[in-house]
Amino acid sequence: MSKRNVSRRQFLNYTLTGVGGFMAAGMLMPMVRFAVDPVLAGGSESDFVATKQKIKDLSTEPTRVDFSFTQVDGWYESEVTNTAWVYKTKDGKIVALSPICKHLGCTVDWGGDKEHPEQFFCPCHYGRYTKDGMNVKGTPPISPLDVFTTKEKDGILYLGQRKPHGEA
Amino acid sequence: MKWNTTDVELYITAKEYVDTALVPLIPISLDDRMKQLSSMSEFLSILSMEIEKKFKGRILLIPTFHYVMDDEKKVEGLQIWERKLQQAEFNHIFFLTSDINWKKEESYLSSSLVWIPAINLESLPMEQAREVMKQQVEQIISLFMNEWKKKD
Repeated sequence: MSKRNVSRRQFLNYTLTGVGGFMAAGMLMPMVRFAVDPVLAGGSESDFVATKQKIKDLSTEPTRVDFSFTQVDGWYESEVTNTAWVYKTKDGKIVALSPICKHLGCTVDWGGDKEHPEQFFCPCHYGRYTKDGMNVKGTPPISPLDVFTTKEKDGILYLGQRKPHGEA
Repeated sequence: MKWNTTDVELYITAKEYVDTALVPLIPISLDDRMKQLSSMSEFLSILSMEIEKKFKGRILLIPTFHYVMDDEKKVEGLQIWERKLQQAEFNHIFFLTSDINWKKEESYLSSSLVWIPAINLESLPMEQAREVMKQQVEQIISLFMNEWKKKD
């Protein structure tokens, strides 16, 4: 034991700071937790939807992959089927393109135009995109096709969020 | 484009690209044909929605033209719609129906009447129903594209 005596004033100071600190922490902790929660919750597993496509069956030729999920829209829950054009690049990277034309929202097809078999084709106003989804100059679309984020799990292809080209 | 606020706004800004109107024709009756007609209505609604999805940027899906089965005046009613659509500068107007009775009225209409037999989707498992629907949609899609090519 030290010989230094703790004065009454010091004792009160210590205890009040201690107790006050606990009280402040008790109030602040939940607030901080609430504030950082969106950051911690980001990138949850459920954003990805399983498809029926096996990764090993993918080729360098874009294949049509349908996938469905339940969408809650206000008070109305429905099963939505979406489509993606999926292929492997030469270095084995998987690319999943959205089939929604960036002009006015029609559905594009791979090789839909006989004169341009190696391009995506929009039947509405003859818009075209190259294989990597870039819009062909001189056709109506003004931006490249959107891209889905992809994931592989147990050899099955999972598709995630749809993002503008270059962000996925 | 569908008949809702967002799509109609888009239609107004992109009018010159939307030259096709699609009108489903669905009969209503409250007698013993009720079940058959409701299944027909269901089939045709799904079909027209799928076509709209494919050709969103070029087609305006007009709300269904409902009529009472055996109504003699239905042709006149549809002719009024047809005139209005022509005035709104739709170069291509398609009437889509599963009701065979329209076939004999076809000559009174100047637009294309597409008749497609209704398939009872209820009796099929989900997967199969989807596949059948896909095939039907494919058929109509090629029909539309041919029609566009003719007049383009």
